Order: sequence, then C-alpha cells, then structure tokens
Amino acid sequence: MEKIGNHLQAISLEVVTLADQDIAAMGKILNYFEEIEEAFGSIDNPVFSDLIKALMGYLERIIMAETEDMTPLEEGIECLQKIFRSLKNEEDVNDDVSGLLEALRYEKSDAVKEEDIRTEDLPEAETNALIEIRAEDREIMGDFVLESLDNLSAIEISLIDLEQDPSDVETINAIFRPFHTIKGVSSFLNLEKINKLAHSSENLLDHARNRAIQIDAGIIDIILESVDMLKKMIQNVHGALESGSVIEDNITTVDLTQRIEALNTRASGTEEKTLGAILVESGSVSPEDIKVSLERQKEEPGKKIGEILVEQKKIDSKTVISGLREQKKFKHGQIELQVKVDTKKLDNLVDLTGELVINQAMLKQNNTIVLANDQKLYHTMNQLTQITSSLQKTAMAMRMVPIKATFQKMVRLVRDLAKKSGKEVALEMSGEDTEIDRNVVEELYEPMVHMIRNAIDHGIESIEDRENVGKKKSSTINLRAYQRGSNIIIEIEDDGRGLNKDRILEKAKSKNLITDNMKLTNSEIYNMIFHAGFSTVKSVTDVSGRGVGMDVVKKAIEKLRGRVEIDSRPGHGSKFLISLPLTLAIIEGMLVRVGHDKYIIPTLAIRESFRPEKDQYSTIKQKGEMILSRGRLIPLIRLDQIFSVKGDAEKPWEGLVVTVENDGEKRCLLLDELLGKEEVVIKSIGQYMKSVKGIAGGAILGDGRVGLILDISGIFEIANGSAVKRVEVEEGIIQ
Amino acid sequence: MDVGIKVLVVDDFSTMRKIIKNNLKGMGFNNIVEAENGQKALEELKKESVGLIISDWNMPVMNGIELLKAVRGDVEFKSIPFIMITAEGQKDNVMAAAKAGVTNSVVKPFTPDTFSEKLQKVLG
Repeated sequence: MEKIGNHLQAISLEVVTLADQDIAAMGKILNYFEEIEEAFGSIDNPVFSDLIKALMGYLERIIMAETEDMTPLEEGIECLQKIFRSLKNEEDVNDDVSGLLEALRYEKSDAVKEEDIRTEDLPEAETNALIEIRAEDREIMGDFVLESLDNLSAIEISLIDLEQDPSDVETINAIFRPFHTIKGVSSFLNLEKINKLAHSSENLLDHARNRAIQIDAGIIDIILESVDMLKKMIQNVHGALESGSVIEDNITTVDLTQRIEALNTRASGTEEKTLGAILVESGSVSPEDIKVSLERQKEEPGKKIGEILVEQKKIDSKTVISGLREQKKFKHGQIELQVKVDTKKLDNLVDLTGELVINQAMLKQNNTIVLANDQKLYHTMNQLTQITSSLQKTAMAMRMVPIKATFQKMVRLVRDLAKKSGKEVALEMSGEDTEIDRNVVEELYEPMVHMIRNAIDHGIESIEDRENVGKKKSSTINLRAYQRGSNIIIEIEDDGRGLNKDRILEKAKSKNLITDNMKLTNSEIYNMIFHAGFSTVKSVTDVSGRGVGMDVVKKAIEKLRGRVEIDSRPGHGSKFLISLPLTLAIIEGMLVRVGHDKYIIPTLAIRESFRPEKDQYSTIKQKGEMILSRGRLIPLIRLDQIFSVKGDAEKPWEGLVVTVENDGEKRCLLLDELLGKEEVVIKSIGQYMKSVKGIAGGAILGDGRVGLILDISGIFEIANGSAVKRVEVEEGIIQ
Repeated sequence: MDVGIKVLVVDDFSTMRKIIKNNLKGMGFNNIVEAENGQKALEELKKESVGLIISDWNMPVMNGIELLKAVRGDVEFKSIPFIMITAEGQKDNVMAAAKAGVTNSVVKPFTPDTFSEKLQKVLG
C-alpha cells in the first residue's frame, strides 16, 4: 500500500515536469505503473486497475507519437490518486471514470493485448520502371551495393548451416539480419521492390525464429530464391551506377513475394500459445481465474499454472491435460539430438538382440539353473530377463521412424493430381508422429500413392458433380495414422462418391468370381476390388493410367504382413484401412502343435478355428478333402502331410482345424492342438533353408526349441500343386 | 543544439552508418565515431567522451537494447542521451527501450527532417 502511494507520488511529480517527447521520463512512469500493477494484487479494485491500464495505453500512444495531448494523462493521474486515497481510508469507491476512460480511449478488453496489426501490403501490379539515381545518393548507393552483395553471399553459407541444424537460433539470426538491413537501407534509397522482397523474407525468418514456422527444405529454397532475386536486382543497381544511367527495373518479384507472404500468413496463426490462453479460448476458465492463478504462481514459483488451477478447483485435471496437448501442437522445431547410423548396423543389432533373447530364454530353462534353488541366482536371472527384454524393445524402437515423411510426400501428390484432374482437393493429416518400422515405411509409399490416385481420380467427383448433389466444392482426403494394439493403422478416407456396389457385382459376375445365388455382405462386395485385374473404370485417365487394379496394393501390403480393408458409403466416400504390424521383426502368431512339432500361424491370416463334426467333412472328386464351414466348402490341408511329419489326428474330427485366408482364398489347416497366442521374434533360418516353401522363418520358443512360422501362401501353393497353375492360366485368359 | 559534441553511431551495416552520418553532417555535426555492435560501442565509450549515442536495435554480438541497458547501468555513461533506431511496426521494441531509459526513438526509414527534429528534442 505504502509502496503504491510512493509510486503514485513519483508519477505525479514526473507528469508535472513532463515535456513533450520526453521519452525517458515516460519510460520511467511506465515502469512505476508496472510496479504498481504488480503490487496492487492487495487492492483488487476494478476501477483502479482499469484506470492504470488505460493510462499505460495512453502513455504508449504518446511515446509512439500518435497523440500529443497531455491533458487526459494529467487528469487520469489526478483521479488515480483520489481513488487511492479513498481505498487507503477504506471508503467506498464510486467515482465514475467512464468519461475519463473514454478520453484515454481505453477499451476494456483490448487495452491489455492491443497489438499493432500489421497491414499486409497487397501486391500491386508491378511496372518495369526506370529509376533515376539522385546525385546525392550515388555514394551511399555504391556502398549499399557492395555491402549487400557481401551479406547476401554470407547468407548462402549460413543457409547450409541451417539446413543441417534448423533449430539453431543464432544461424537464423545471422540470416535474418542482412535481410533486415537491406530492407532498412533500401527504403532510404527508394528501391521499392528490393525493400518489399527483403521485408517479406525478413518476416518469414522472424516467424522461423519464433518457431511459428518450421524450417524445412522448402523454406530454405524460398529464402535462397529470395537471395538470388535480391542479388539480381542489386546488380542492376550496380550496373546503373557504373554506366551512370538509370536503373533498369525489369525483375518481377510479385510471384515470390506472394509465396513468401502466403507462408507468413499461415505462420501468424500458429504462434506458440500459453496454456492460459488456450484454456480461456476453449472457454474452460475465465481470464480472471488465470490472473488469480498467475498471482499465486508468483508466490510459489515453480508451480505449474495447471496445477494451481486444479488446486483452486477452477477446472478438472482432464481439461488441463487436453490443454497441454493442444499447446504441444504449437511447439514446433523441437528437434532432439540425433546421430546417423548405418541401417545395416541397426538390423544387425536387432538380430543380435534376438539371439540374446533366445539364449537368455534357454539359460533360464536350463535344468541346472531351474533346479539350483539359489535365491541370488534366481534374482540375477530375473534381472537379466528384464534387461534383455527392454534392450530388445529399444533396439526395435531404433528402427522405427515417424510416418510423417511418407505423409508429407502425399501433400505434393494430392496437389499435383488435383490440378491435373481439375478438382479441388484438400489433404488433412493426423497422427504423423506415429512410428513404424522403417522397412515398412519404405514399402508403404507405393501402395499409398496408388490409393490416393484412385481416390482423386475415381472416388472424388468433378466440381460440377459435387455441386449438383449439394456437396462442398472442395473435397477432402483424410490421412490418419494411429497405433492399435501391436498394429499400426493407416486410414485413407475421401468424401467422394463412394464405391458402386452394383457395378462391382456386375463385374464380379462377368469374371465368374461369384454366382447369382451367392449372398454377400457389403464388405465382401467392396473388398472384391482387390481381386487381380478388377477395375470397374473403363476409361484411361492421365492420373490413374490404365486401372492397374487394387490387387497390387493388396499384394504390397500383404507382403508387409498387413491387411487392407475398404469401407464405403454411397455418396459419402470411401475409407481404406491398412493394418500393419508395428515391426517386421516381431510377429504375432498362434502357436500350434502337429505331432511333436510346433508351428506358428500368423494371427493376421487366421479367420477361425474349430473342431469339425464328422458331417462337416467330405471328399470331392478331383478336389480332395473339404470342410463345410458357414455354408461353404473349404479345401482341407493336412499340415502333417505338408511337412512330412506324423500328426496325432488321422481323422479331421479328431483334431482341430484353423481356417486361414490368403489373397481371398480360404483353406482349413488340420492340426492337433492350439497352444496359445504368442509374440515371437522372427529369425531367419539360414541360407540352406531359404528355399523351403511354406516356411516364412523360425522363432525360438519359450522352451528353447525352434518353432517354424508358416508362410500361408506357400502352403497354399504346395497343397494346390497343379491346381494353382490352372488358376493362373485362367486368370491369364481373363486379362 | 551543440553540434560540437561527439556522436557515437552504432550499426552493423556500414551503409546505414553512412546514412546516419550524412544526416548528422547535414545538421552540422562533424565529430562522429562509429561502432559495429554494442560491444564495440562500449569500447568506444571508454576511449572517447561521447555526447550522444545513436544505435540500431538489431545487431550481432550485442544488440541495441543490451547496449542501452549497459549504458544506463554504468555510473559514468548513464546520462548520455541515447537514440534508438527501430524498424517499422516494432512497437514492443520502442516500449522496451522506453522502459530501459532511452532518450528517444527513431523509426526506420526516416527522412532527414524527422531525424533532425528528434535530435533537436533530445539535445535541446
């Protein structure tokens, strides 16, 4: 209280002696006001605080030379003192300050965050003007040319540094400064175009410095472009100086300036926000609550604002967390330290850890250890298990990369395709940070391109068609990635016309894929487009080319041990759902027993498992053994025969069958026992076994024995034998 | 206005220094020293007895506001008039300079008239 009184006293003294344009004195007054604001938490009177804010705003206007009238300032301070006296004597404050506030042009909510709105100059039509150099500018112009050219060359070197470390603020500053100075000096010399381009580039770098824009190759390219153009223009000035003629101004900067401004406008929306601002914006708390909490934070430094808000029961912790998440989205450019490692070394590491896991498992089950009955040994063993498993996880994680890079390639693709096909398509992405095995990512690019092409070319209607059915002119493709269990899901969704069920059915019948009396679910019908040579679009377009069926997509994804499904709503669009294993090094499988041997069937291929009844089994001439399941006859494959071992079950109803699917075909595998679901590390089973059909690899099981991972398509081929060849010939005829 | 005082012009861009120098010379100042950043300016201050500092905001090594704070925090230099040159639209910078005790601010680009007007106000 006393401090505020003293400050007010000092302020009124300063104001009395305040001369026009005495910025030093005004700065002092501003400092006093700030200190009062800090201290007046104890006063908490709205009239008082409004008045102080209004006075500070007015002072700023005087400093900015927007006004010269001192009267409102003097009156305001007089009034402030009066109110303060009343407060001190604990009297009611009922002064009407509205007239005064008006004179100070104070708007309640805006005054605090009143920010100068930078008016973006609209690019004017450029003319190729001839600029005369004034005699008095000649010397300075000469200096400007030499110094600017020097500086611009320095930028190029700094840009290379920046490309290597985009987060280095010092490098950004070093690039920012020459633009800033060229902007400043060119405005003195009336070099308008140089000034404008330098100004835009400077703003762009300013955004980069504030992390509102993330520096990437695109930004660096555009800065380089700007450097080149500035150089050219300055060289023109140079030429004019040397020849003593006028400056030939024949360079068009509008295009580049516009592109830079577009980036700038985008960046202005994404400045980093405080948690408080986010929460107020979402309406979760009032600005007052934030203010009170900030005051408390001063008393207890180090305490998080969210914590305080929850403590004061202003909001629940869930809201704070979602707010923090929102805030995180704004934090760009937080690049963690990285080293480059040869991928071969990484793969090697993953292999070696695999070996380690196996040996550790064998050690643990070694009889000497199992029977040792040694507490200490037991403890060490457990420790070893834990460390091994986290080492394995870490090694796997090292091979994981965010899917972002692949997603970002699609941006360009969508833009180009949309342009070519004359459609308006926006690409929205989410979950770009989802991590996926880098070997998978590489294989994923092609199928994704294929699906996006399909979506834009066939899925999305032309602008007229969209307008005719009352849809928005511009369409959207959504690209999403997320993790579900041990799978990565990638969704590609468009809001186009959806799949034409009748057309697919018609086509399927013409290709003898189905018969008239087959009852199919929607999903079964849609998924038929993945059949080889299946394309309902007859026309060849520039975008998609000859309908290289979606079967290519399916094959590529199945190669990654993934699955692709499609869902569609007529008139509303289609959604492709790609499900991929997190990593290629681990496989989730069903452990099964055939006789004395154990095999692993990849879970992705399994449709169902059951013990067949006697009457479900039948033998059909020329086609062999069949199991009747859900109204269909499915060929039976005896695993023991495939691998030439001796199984327990001679008759199918004595054992179990597992229905597996590959490439749209189903088979029932006969086996003896299901031992459970397990995640196993895939081990290559060595050179000499590489060509064994039906085996995808080996895995070391818990008991130290090797289990073989089944390669479903290989098994189908073995079982089908010549039958496969026949189908292939048939398909060849169709195509 | 005493044009006999020594003026220290601080800017990393020599062309800019020259523009300011030309403006100063046009007003009759002939005693001018230069520095290319805040650090160098402080060194100059120790060598010469300076009567006015004109400094740019944005400079490498030590920028204008840091220089201003250093000058205002030094018993010997704290009463030297200090003019800060800021870029257009940098209201925050102007305010920060005011709070740090700047004598006046000039916004780039300026005409010789506004420049001499400001100097008149600062030097009386």
